[in-house]
Amino acid sequence: MAEPVLEVSGLVKHYPLTRGILFRKQVGAVKAVDGVDFTLGRGETLGLVGESGCGKSTVARMLVSLERPTAGTIRYRGEDITRLSGKALKAVRRNIQMVFQDPYTSLNPRMTVGDIIGEPYEIHPEVAPKGDRRRKVQDLLDVVGLDPEYVNRYPHQFSGGQRQRIGIARALALRPEVIVADEPVSALDVSVQAQVINLLDRLQSEFELSCLFIAHDLSLVRHISDRVGVMYLGRIVEIGRDTEIYDHPTHPYTQALLSAVPVPDPEAREHRERIILAGDVPSPTNIPSGCRFRTRCWKAQERCALEVPALAVPEEFRRTTGPAAHDSACHFAEDVSIRRSAPEVVLPPEETREDHVNGSA
Amino acid sequence: MLLEVRDLHVEFRTRDGIARAVNGVTYGVDAGETLAVLGESGSGKSVTAQAVMGILDTPPGRITGGEILFQGRDLLKLKEEERRKVRGAEMAMIFQDALSSLNPVVCVGDQLGEMFVVHRGMGKKDARARAVELMDQVRIPGAKERVKDYPHQFSGGMRQRIMIAMAIALEPALIIADEPTTALDVTVQAQVMDLLAELQREYHMGLILITHDLGVVADVADRIAVMYAGRIVESAPVHDLYKAPAHPYTRGLLDSIPRLDQKGQELYAIKGLPPNLMHIPSGCAFHPRCPMARDVCRTDVPPPYEVSEDRASACHFWRECLDG
Repeated sequence: MAEPVLEVSGLVKHYPLTRGILFRKQVGAVKAVDGVDFTLGRGETLGLVGESGCGKSTVARMLVSLERPTAGTIRYRGEDITRLSGKALKAVRRNIQMVFQDPYTSLNPRMTVGDIIGEPYEIHPEVAPKGDRRRKVQDLLDVVGLDPEYVNRYPHQFSGGQRQRIGIARALALRPEVIVADEPVSALDVSVQAQVINLLDRLQSEFELSCLFIAHDLSLVRHISDRVGVMYLGRIVEIGRDTEIYDHPTHPYTQALLSAVPVPDPEAREHRERIILAGDVPSPTNIPSGCRFRTRCWKAQERCALEVPALAVPEEFRRTTGPAAHDSACHFAEDVSIRRSAPEVVLPPEETREDHVNGSA
Repeated sequence: MLLEVRDLHVEFRTRDGIARAVNGVTYGVDAGETLAVLGESGSGKSVTAQAVMGILDTPPGRITGGEILFQGRDLLKLKEEERRKVRGAEMAMIFQDALSSLNPVVCVGDQLGEMFVVHRGMGKKDARARAVELMDQVRIPGAKERVKDYPHQFSGGMRQRIMIAMAIALEPALIIADEPTTALDVTVQAQVMDLLAELQREYHMGLILITHDLGVVADVADRIAVMYAGRIVESAPVHDLYKAPAHPYTRGLLDSIPRLDQKGQELYAIKGLPPNLMHIPSGCAFHPRCPMARDVCRTDVPPPYEVSEDRASACHFWRECLDG
């Protein structure tokens, strides 16, 4: 892999749950992110997938210092940015920029497009001298495929896809090294999504950006990513190169997730075997012991309740060099084609089912 | 035919002008059949469904033409009182957002039971018992204990099951599901779609599935109608349409799905933006975005050309499109 730009290790974010008004005491915690490790190489795109509530957006917000981690480190070029403040933090933030999900709420409706894209220069005046800014903003508009004459328009005068282009231009203004894109196209119409994805892809190679791409659309993530991490309940359960994850998933959750994605091919309807998981994701306030996926897993055994599986290359694949030899946090990891791997409907063991009903209430 | 919509027109009068949301939609569903209505936001797919259900906001909405034949009767000619008897009992709707479609201050048992109290004149106790049966039927674990819970106490997937339970309560002949799984995660989406398909088979209902997801359509639908700017641009059996689309818009949508063998290449993108309903382009509404557009497309509205016996395309050049 290329030299790492970002190294994340042991990242944790817990939001305390308190009770009482005068005497606040902590009664629990929402464990949004609960121990995440990954590295992002220079010029690489890492895709992060997972269902809602798995903590992928919280990871994104910590990377751009919008949230402070409860524990863990985020190293940018070797320096732990979670400990920085003031000037040093400001300097780092310049290099890690974010594209938000919702282009309707992430642009200030009272500012013109020129002001929105130019605002980063107010905060980091060293990047562009005052007289130069307007030209720079117009260049950026041109780069993202908008008419440079639009600088004086307001966000409401643009469509969703155009607004997302404005958000991307703003993220690029400071020439960052890392872009964190949190569901950048999920609010857009299908016919417009492809346009924005192509733009992101082109800009990434043009500006040699490293990119963390978060989405729940698995085929989109595969298209744009070099490596893919799958998250479940605050942890990465499997991570590897795109073909390793999509063609040789070894974690049962990844297998279930991939098999549940509707395939736009009616011919596949009859042949496709799907793994349909029972129930919902447990609440992040009450995470199952051991492996957090065990309450919905058809392979779960006693060991899974007792021992937390580490995210590493599973033992049986450690000596092989095939595509199954990638990090997967499962005691019973197996490289099976997802078409034949499991029963159609998965019923977890009875007792865990009870917990789960309470958990989702 | 169970339901036939013929040349339906709906417009909305707004301060800025008239938005023509539906401009001559014709489709039909048989008992036991699943029709998918595919389109992007603003294509008129939901407005058509609301007109069929009789829940269109009027004003500002107005049905300016067409017929909605349900089991032989034209619903648009019925009085509101008669319509109300049809709604819920003979046709039912499942909405995208279950949390905002359920009453937050009434427990789910009462909301389900209300169907039986209002339409069947049942007593409260019997209605409650039927509510528990329904919750069992849509596989909500512990139905008996949970019947007194409120909507916010259920997860998203469970709430959507309650919506489905409410829709099938009176065993209607037709169900309209408007983006029923869009708000759900993939693993839960698969559960809910499976349940819906199973209940449909069991009761031999007609199902209109409104969606923008080509994957969901391929998984469950028999026929598909693709909408653009308030018109149906292509309608076909699902297998035929995916094999060879006969309209450039359908082709564009299918081509813009990321595929394995095209990784690293640019995705195909339909250029331009969906039209503004206040100013729908002349001729074929898709012509400003169409790679095949010629002069005739700017002037003449394409009628639904018959491609084969059960297939139609509203494109002057459907033959070329079909050949690729």
